[in-house]
Amino acid sequence: MWLLKGVNVLNWFRNIKSNWNTWTILSILFIVIILLPSLSIILQFAAETNENWLHIKEYMLNTYIVNSVILVLFVGLFTAIIGSSLAWIISAYDFPLRGFFQWGLILPLAIPPYIGAYTYHGILNYTGVIQTTLRNQWDITVNQQYFNIMNMPGAIFIFVIFLFPYVFTITKAFLARQSTALIENARILGTSSWRIYYRTVLPIARASIVAGVSLVILEVLNDYGVVKYYGIQTFTTAIFQTWFGLGDLDSAIKLSGTLMLLILGLLVLERVLRGRKRFSFTTTKVRLLQPVKLQGKRKWLAFGYCMFVFGIAFIIPFIQLIYWAMLTYDQSFSVEFLQVIGNTIGVAFVAAAIITIMAVVISNVSRLNRGLFSKVFPKVTILGYSIPGAVIAVGVVSLFIGLDKQIYEWGFTSSYILSTSIVMLIFAYIVRYLAVAYNSVESGFERIGTQFTDASRILGNNVTKSFFKVDIKLIRGAIFGGFILAFIDILKELPLTLILRPFNFETLATNAFNYATNEMIHEAALPSILIICISAISIYAFHHVLERE
Amino acid sequence: MYKKVLLYSFLFLSMITLAACGGESTDGGDESEKEKEINLYTSRHYDIDDELYKQFEDETGIKVNVIEGSADELIERMKREGEQTADLFYTADAGRLHRAKEQDLLQSVESDVLSENIPEKLTDEDNTWFGLTKRARVIVYHKDRVDPSELSTYEDLTDSKWEDRILIRSSENIYNQSLVASFIELDSREDAKQWAEGIVKNMAREPQGGDRDQAKGVAAGEGDIAVMNTYYLGGMLNSDDQEEVKVAEQLGVFFPNQDTTGTHVNVSGIGVTKHAKNKENAVKLVEFLSSKEVQEQFASANYEYPANPEVEPADTLKEWGEFKEQDINLSKLGENNAEAVKIFNEVNWK
Repeated sequence: MWLLKGVNVLNWFRNIKSNWNTWTILSILFIVIILLPSLSIILQFAAETNENWLHIKEYMLNTYIVNSVILVLFVGLFTAIIGSSLAWIISAYDFPLRGFFQWGLILPLAIPPYIGAYTYHGILNYTGVIQTTLRNQWDITVNQQYFNIMNMPGAIFIFVIFLFPYVFTITKAFLARQSTALIENARILGTSSWRIYYRTVLPIARASIVAGVSLVILEVLNDYGVVKYYGIQTFTTAIFQTWFGLGDLDSAIKLSGTLMLLILGLLVLERVLRGRKRFSFTTTKVRLLQPVKLQGKRKWLAFGYCMFVFGIAFIIPFIQLIYWAMLTYDQSFSVEFLQVIGNTIGVAFVAAAIITIMAVVISNVSRLNRGLFSKVFPKVTILGYSIPGAVIAVGVVSLFIGLDKQIYEWGFTSSYILSTSIVMLIFAYIVRYLAVAYNSVESGFERIGTQFTDASRILGNNVTKSFFKVDIKLIRGAIFGGFILAFIDILKELPLTLILRPFNFETLATNAFNYATNEMIHEAALPSILIICISAISIYAFHHVLERE
Repeated sequence: MYKKVLLYSFLFLSMITLAACGGESTDGGDESEKEKEINLYTSRHYDIDDELYKQFEDETGIKVNVIEGSADELIERMKREGEQTADLFYTADAGRLHRAKEQDLLQSVESDVLSENIPEKLTDEDNTWFGLTKRARVIVYHKDRVDPSELSTYEDLTDSKWEDRILIRSSENIYNQSLVASFIELDSREDAKQWAEGIVKNMAREPQGGDRDQAKGVAAGEGDIAVMNTYYLGGMLNSDDQEEVKVAEQLGVFFPNQDTTGTHVNVSGIGVTKHAKNKENAVKLVEFLSSKEVQEQFASANYEYPANPEVEPADTLKEWGEFKEQDINLSKLGENNAEAVKIFNEVNWK
């Protein structure tokens, strides 16, 4: 393995040739697939500027970029703090309901942020439950300003409470299995809990936290639902204003390209800053971190913190949605609705499975190669995640129409097959969400390092055999985690599903969106609740499987 | 052996993919059935629409396949699909319909039924699209705090007496864009810009939320008047949520510019695509949707004004009375849309 140290590409290819071609070829193939629809976007980036572009630059870009930066900074910061602190408390301590919180705190991820945004506004606004109660019971009319959530802090709040589980899940997986020795040593040395968190947990979990936060940031930059409803102008607003308002898709794509470059730059920067620091297993014995039982006040403090976050991020919006669903249950439920549920689960499952397998292959190849090229190469998986879904949709449609035309011309089919089938949608999901599964799997691999694989290979196993005999057992959790995250993301995915689905194909997300976008939030409640329930069940199943291990 | 596992997992995946394709191609039924079907792209998301397509299928045996999406995304999809695309395109706002026409995605339709059912004004000049439902963008006011005699025109809203009293949603919204586009048409770009500037000055708060939120803002006392579409208020007056009904009952509807250019109206409309495979059946659906019986259902379900003049609007709308409409061909809204967006940016209307 140590022979593979060269940094130049040539060397890298030579290594590939000599060693384990199936994996690498697949890996390259997958990445090319991801790149195809992005290609038109990258090409567009070099296109000439037109009059609209000048208008955008003069009137839109400055404020929009500032808003995006503020949003990303604060959401990133708060999700990092909340996600990692919760992960730490739950990994290291035992207190009431800890077992539940282990998976319960992932549940907020099941609520699509834009539904959460509508819901919280619905709770707080003039006709919401709080103000109505005050008005009708006690005749108190409040100053609207104190109850206005539709502003920058409100949007930050929404993103933080519904996205922190990305950081929580990835960091917790890392802490529970990986950090045992370091943390126990710190404990033995009598370090206080706070200091352990600050001095030990944060540095060693940095890769996991960053992986989580980068998913959060990408999700925020991509969001259009929340910022549109709350009237906050971000970079994404500029993209859609340009496309829908000015009718200039080319300039819109150019903007997406800028966003994409920015994100890639950030990720590379983080990688460089992290430099050589690596925290893979320090011993060959993987032990689970034993939680310390908390007593007295501290017990309730830990419980209170978890409960507080869980209440705000899940219970409150969920109850509100149930109330709304009860108002409109008879109108929104029908037999066809069962079909919609079936569609949703089916397509999300298939796409998430494919995504997970691809993520495993790519990250395994990247891990076992030491060249810089192979480290940066897989970062393109993030491309799809950094471009707004609607823009990906445009790339994907072009690609499939092109393919269909070819197939049609060769005479295999009598009409367009691919672009009218679900294949196109699944393909788009892969382009978009590979990063989600990849990040999870990569952090799993990072945790175990390469020593076990090296040992296995020295004993004469090839890469494939090593993978199935050794690696997969060590990172089963991370693989599952990646699958579940991708699955949930696809359940609630919007612009792609809306635009790329075949005829008469509805999912719960499109159903909820259709109502919400018509300001019929009550009717949107039932499909939203079902999305949440399906996600909750899968989160629980995932947790259960992990527990049994 | 492990290579085999890898191999099997990929076989499994390709099987799933094939199954997904296969499933799609079989559930259409036999060929002749399939030929009768029509494909529809729509940006409308109302339950009543689905019920009407079903009704159409029951009456004619023609199945309607639907993809919903936002108008611009669907336009882009049609463009890229070229000859292999939907038969019909249905969307709210004339600006969007015009954009589709401009990109050469729609075709002219000659139909006696349609020219009888739908007024010329709500139809494209070249008959590429037909308005099916109509909505007005009106001023709503708080009945206690505003005397309707104070209200007169859209232009009057820029007067300093309305400072800090107006609620209106963000400029991203197509209804606001079309409103300003109509001013560009009736007056001039300069006038339209002045109007937008004046409104920004008089806003009671930064634009946020949807049309219903503006109504709630007026009830809550954040502002005294709001600009909104009629069907949202209709929806609130008939809401399941008693609190929304209470809000709407505090508000009065005012149709501006009755002595001058008329109140701004817009449509949701439908057009047959240029490459429609099944033009004949597609036109049948449009005719069906414009018919008296169907228009009645449209009107009552969604509080929109029916495009067919023979049909009376829902009771809620009738109570608001009749009004004079802006007299411009709605295609103009589309032609002026991009300019309107630029104006908003220039005057910093969020």
